[in-house]
Amino acid sequence: MLQMKKRNTLPALACATFAVLVSLLAASVEAAPPEPPTNLAAIDKPWDGGGVVFVTWDASTTPIDQLQGYEILAKDLGQTPVELADQTAEQADLEAKDQTETILEGEGVAPQEARQRARIAEEADPAVPVVEPTTWQSLGIISATETSYEATGLEKDRQYIFTVRSIGSDKSLSMMTTPTEPVVPEAAWFNLSKLPLLIALCVISFAVLLFVVLARGGMPMNIRTIAGLKAVDEAVGRATEMGRSILYINGIQDMDDLQTVAGVTVLGHVSKTAAEYDAKIEVPTSRSLVMTAARETVQSSYFSAGRPDAYNPDLIYYVTDEQFGFVAYVSGMMTREKPAACFYMGSFFAESLILAETGNSVGAIQIAGTANPSQLPFFVAACDYTLIGEEFFAASAYLSGQPDQLGSLKGQDIGKMLAGLFIIVGVVLATIQAITGSSGLEDAVNYLKEVILGS
Amino acid sequence: MAKAYTPGLKVAASTTHQAHRVLPIPGTVQVKQGDQVEADTIVAETFMDGDITPLNVANLLSAQPGDIPQLMLKGEGDRVEQGEPIARNKGVFGMFKSECTAPASGTLEAISKATGQIMIRGKSIPVQVKAYLPGTVIEVLPEEGVVIENQVTLIQGIFGVGGETSGPITMACPAHDQRLEAGMINEAMRGMIVVGGARVTAEAIGRAREVGAAAVVSGGIDDADLKEILGYDLGVAITGTERIGLTVIITEGFGDIAMARRTYELLKERSGDSASVNGATQIRAGVMRPEILIPVAGSQVSAPETSTESGVLELGTPIRVIRDPYFGLIGTVASLPEAPQVLGSGSKSRVLEVSLESGEVVTVPRANVELIET
Amino acid sequence: MTPPSQINTDAVNVILATDCGSTTTKAIMIEKVDGTYRQTHRGEAPTTVEEPFANVTVGVINALTEIQEVSGRRLIDDEGHIIRPATADAGCDIYISTSSAGGGLQMMVAGVVREMTAASAKRAALGAGAIVMDTIAANDRRRPHEQIQRIRELRPDMVLISGGTDGGDTKKVTEIAELIAPAKPRPRFGKSYELPIIFAGNTDTRPEIERVFGEGGFDLKITDNLRPSLERENLGPARDMIHDVFLEHVMAHAPGYDTLMSITDAAIMPTPGAVGDILQTIAKGRGINAVGVDIGGATTDVFSVFDGTFNRTVSANLGMSYSISNVCAEATMPKILRWVHLDMDERELRNRVKNKMIRPTTIPQSLEALIFEQAVAREALRLAYQQHKEFATTLKGVQQQRTVGDTFSQEAGGETLVDNMKLDLLVASGGVLSHAPRMHQTAMLLIDAFEPEGITELAKDSIFMMPHLGVLSSVHPQAAMEVFEKDCLVYLGTCVAAKGLGKPGKTCFSWSLDSGAKGSGSMAFGELQLIELGVDETAELEVKPARGFDLGAGPGKALTQKIRGGTVGVILDARGRSLSLPEERSACRAAVSNAIEAVDLYGDQPAKVDGRAV
Repeated sequence: MLQMKKRNTLPALACATFAVLVSLLAASVEAAPPEPPTNLAAIDKPWDGGGVVFVTWDASTTPIDQLQGYEILAKDLGQTPVELADQTAEQADLEAKDQTETILEGEGVAPQEARQRARIAEEADPAVPVVEPTTWQSLGIISATETSYEATGLEKDRQYIFTVRSIGSDKSLSMMTTPTEPVVPEAAWFNLSKLPLLIALCVISFAVLLFVVLARGGMPMNIRTIAGLKAVDEAVGRATEMGRSILYINGIQDMDDLQTVAGVTVLGHVSKTAAEYDAKIEVPTSRSLVMTAARETVQSSYFSAGRPDAYNPDLIYYVTDEQFGFVAYVSGMMTREKPAACFYMGSFFAESLILAETGNSVGAIQIAGTANPSQLPFFVAACDYTLIGEEFFAASAYLSGQPDQLGSLKGQDIGKMLAGLFIIVGVVLATIQAITGSSGLEDAVNYLKEVILGS
Repeated sequence: MAKAYTPGLKVAASTTHQAHRVLPIPGTVQVKQGDQVEADTIVAETFMDGDITPLNVANLLSAQPGDIPQLMLKGEGDRVEQGEPIARNKGVFGMFKSECTAPASGTLEAISKATGQIMIRGKSIPVQVKAYLPGTVIEVLPEEGVVIENQVTLIQGIFGVGGETSGPITMACPAHDQRLEAGMINEAMRGMIVVGGARVTAEAIGRAREVGAAAVVSGGIDDADLKEILGYDLGVAITGTERIGLTVIITEGFGDIAMARRTYELLKERSGDSASVNGATQIRAGVMRPEILIPVAGSQVSAPETSTESGVLELGTPIRVIRDPYFGLIGTVASLPEAPQVLGSGSKSRVLEVSLESGEVVTVPRANVELIET
Repeated sequence: MTPPSQINTDAVNVILATDCGSTTTKAIMIEKVDGTYRQTHRGEAPTTVEEPFANVTVGVINALTEIQEVSGRRLIDDEGHIIRPATADAGCDIYISTSSAGGGLQMMVAGVVREMTAASAKRAALGAGAIVMDTIAANDRRRPHEQIQRIRELRPDMVLISGGTDGGDTKKVTEIAELIAPAKPRPRFGKSYELPIIFAGNTDTRPEIERVFGEGGFDLKITDNLRPSLERENLGPARDMIHDVFLEHVMAHAPGYDTLMSITDAAIMPTPGAVGDILQTIAKGRGINAVGVDIGGATTDVFSVFDGTFNRTVSANLGMSYSISNVCAEATMPKILRWVHLDMDERELRNRVKNKMIRPTTIPQSLEALIFEQAVAREALRLAYQQHKEFATTLKGVQQQRTVGDTFSQEAGGETLVDNMKLDLLVASGGVLSHAPRMHQTAMLLIDAFEPEGITELAKDSIFMMPHLGVLSSVHPQAAMEVFEKDCLVYLGTCVAAKGLGKPGKTCFSWSLDSGAKGSGSMAFGELQLIELGVDETAELEVKPARGFDLGAGPGKALTQKIRGGTVGVILDARGRSLSLPEERSACRAAVSNAIEAVDLYGDQPAKVDGRAV
């Protein structure tokens, strides 16, 4: 990295003069440096996501056999201080997010907790804005037959000027051309490379809408039987026969988490079954809002089961927001009261195995459902039945029986089928390409990999 | 052995009949021992909790469950009538509003914000037991019901649908072997027990229902017509609780088959008299057949008790074949061979020869005939 | 009644057994012939439970007198008593009896959860030979007043109440008892009869139950919990208690049974209970899995023993007379007509079915009627077996043990125990099966309805002797086994059926009998073939299934097994499992016609039926 230094102007000037002299001497001895290209122009690439500039020029007058290629250089003219500040903040956020993810996945700590820890870490080690280079930087060398270049990897909101010089076959460099006008490689309102994504989106949305309309029109929507749901009757029955309670944990997240919402739907089903069997269902929650929603749901389940009198709101209560405080309470309660059936439906973190193992040790039938991939193995191993990821949401749609939910589930299946299809096509193409080495196929594979997958 | 026993149905001009009238759950008995009761006198009564009808308004209006309380036109505790609009959504800019109506009458008991479900509780259901058979209360079963007795003309059918009803007897068909068609039923038959001849068509029953007849009695019915009337395929011959608007009693069987002459004549004789009928049938151990009871006024008791519950097959006995391929054909016993014979189906069975009305003599298994009275 | 232990089994030479059915009393005589027990003579007489006799022993003596006449052996003395013990030419050593007179043993069962304790209670009652009229449970979706109404309508002989594991629920059980007590189910035997209530539930609930039923009008019996924990079922004590109560109360109130009970050498058993016992004895003795079916006019009983676990179901509304219309309604007409290769008018058939329902005693006269009736029987049996499969399951409500490997294959509890591939013996009894004009028809009815897989022996109960042998097995198991093998069962033959599906015409399996000495060949998918192999003949069967087909050794794996012949022979069935007929009517008719031809189903019957070609 070169930096302009103003202090030793004289020796530098002397050196430069010397260098020019030497080079002139050398040129006169061997051959003259190649001519630079002419008519240099740079334009922002239209219909893109920003960061790409299209540079064009006329070929150098030096015969092509004496040229090794052209070198493209760019200079970053920087950005406004406001933008700079924005970017720094963005960068810091990204880093915090990364760190949160690490804590979340690595230690199974709930997101709130993880964010808080990340924030503390960030304050201790604030992000330092990176100073950007402002000199000419080589973007690359291309063959002498080309007269255009697509400069990628530029910053969207910065100004750039470009220049090009020819490189002779003896590695001698021509003069740089006059730099172009400053160009900002800004993002267009539509990024044409994302077109496949738009098409896929339209197809899936259309499928969802179509199935929703069909479902509303009374088309039967078949959802594969989910063992875990079928087992609800069994679990509730066990609790009834053993005269013990049913424990329902709706995850430890708030109502803004989709899994919590799905969990509440499942709760409706479980509590309706419980009402029919006249079994006691206990729902400790770690969020006050979840408690309210759960109460409403359970109450209406008891109503629709025709046993409004059996509903007891005191069995649905708030414990604490604190992740491990909640777990400690629930585990304690489980060992004391030995519920005959435990349901874990929602978003879980490190507490998953603590709860499931405790439940297993008190001899309960346990049914879990979560979309947190890191917790699934624990539930599968410790519970009788587990609703895995998508199944959990499907269960919610299936139970609510709402045409909208069923239709969108069916519509999403179309999307999944499309994705599966592309994966198969891609794998087959890549395999054939690897065997035959065909360049036509290579393009197709690259297209799939970079454009379709990339978008 | 030149004799064989074969089953038949009870058809008696005059017999003493007792009816046990009890409530399904304890209640109050409204009459005393020795009381004279009419067919529609309520003898015992009680009340049951109303039915609850859940309705998911959020689904019906495609609205968020949380918005349902604002969309409701009725509040908790309000009285709603069936078909009355109870919720309406806001629509798009006030257009395309959709409504949802109450599926049942009752009280709006609860509105749930979580599921968008509402509950309508119907009113308490009175459970009443009517006397059914006019006569004398001979025993009171406390909190349960009564036993009523009377002298009646009793006719058992082979099969029926629908429950208890009563009304005067009216003859729709001029002959016992005439089909009962829709055209033979008129407005004057409202509240009456319409007696036909042979097969009754679904149209005829439809027409009878239209004019408000209490019951239809005829010789036969097509299974397809029965299915049409009931709306489902009848599985087990345990009936009596159908709600089809009237009671149907078949005296002979399914298909084109004429009513037994004696049954027809007996009904014709009592035409105009009030009768109690019950379509309830149970063909099982402790068989229960549909019945037509026509009380015989004290002075009229003249005919001795007669019944044809089971009879003896002898040469010349009039019989009806009750199984295909000769189903419904009438004839007399021509001979009763002793040794079992091989049937067309390949199985062996004891048979008899029947001389049919047409003059033809056919062989049928003894199990497949039924005694008839002329 | 002599306690069974006092009988010297070696000294037994003559055994008499009766089964008092609702209409006929059937008697059989078993004698020791050349060291083995054989059924030698039989007699029948109308049952005399009803007026004018109102004494069941009259019918029993009549039936025995008939044996006396045909055998020439004097069995009844001048006072009308059975002569015992046997001498050289008179009397018998053992006399036993079963009874299903007056509709058999009718019970109502109750439990807390329908699929758990109530199901266990039902199993206990069915296993004891009862007809379960209804099952009351806390979750049967009926409101209390509906349950009360139902209880009042029923007139059970006894009630079995279960519920709660030991130390488990007490509230629900008491609630159910509190429903039953005030509903006062009226027993069939008049007002003087105290309705027996058997309680086999949570031991903690006993005081409460005693309080509820203590008010009078009931005879409360308490026995061990039949579901001490959800993981374990203990039906034995409850079953024994049902038998005791049956003898003590039900039988004692039936006319003449007190006398009958005093002359039998073993407790009188309900007929189906005895059938279950003999099937269990046989399955245990031969180490096989067996299924028995008894199709009647109103109900169809299915018995199964798989890996030592016995199950019985009664399909209350599947039968060939009273319930025939229900079979048609449940199976639907097209399903029934797929077994018929003739043109039949659906409207007329419907009327015929209904006429059979309202006049249950008629019998088919023409071949056409027989074909149709057997088509209905196929569907009735199929449905009954399906119900049996659903009921004969592992216990529900049991905690599962899983590993991460189970992620995508989480099997639910309550899987069926019935596995057609493991089935070794299929026994048929009941009118339509045992009175079919040709045994081939019986065999095909069984194959089409039960779809046995692999190698399965088919047999029928010759004269419905299984009840007698069931009781006999409790006093003299050896005699029971010997008679069962030699005289009771009529071996129809063996069914060899490949599991799997393929394209019609593609090779399904190749076979050879005694290395080709008795025949060999190859079966294409869709084919059916009958190989003659006489009664008492056996042969070494070698089969090699094609890929994707299974004959018991695994898909595509060859198998060699000794098989038994019979009155029909060996039926090779390459129609695939699960068995399906073509949807299209003409193709379906062709397939059924081919099958009829292949096994010579109707023999030399007239080729024309009512002017239409067969």
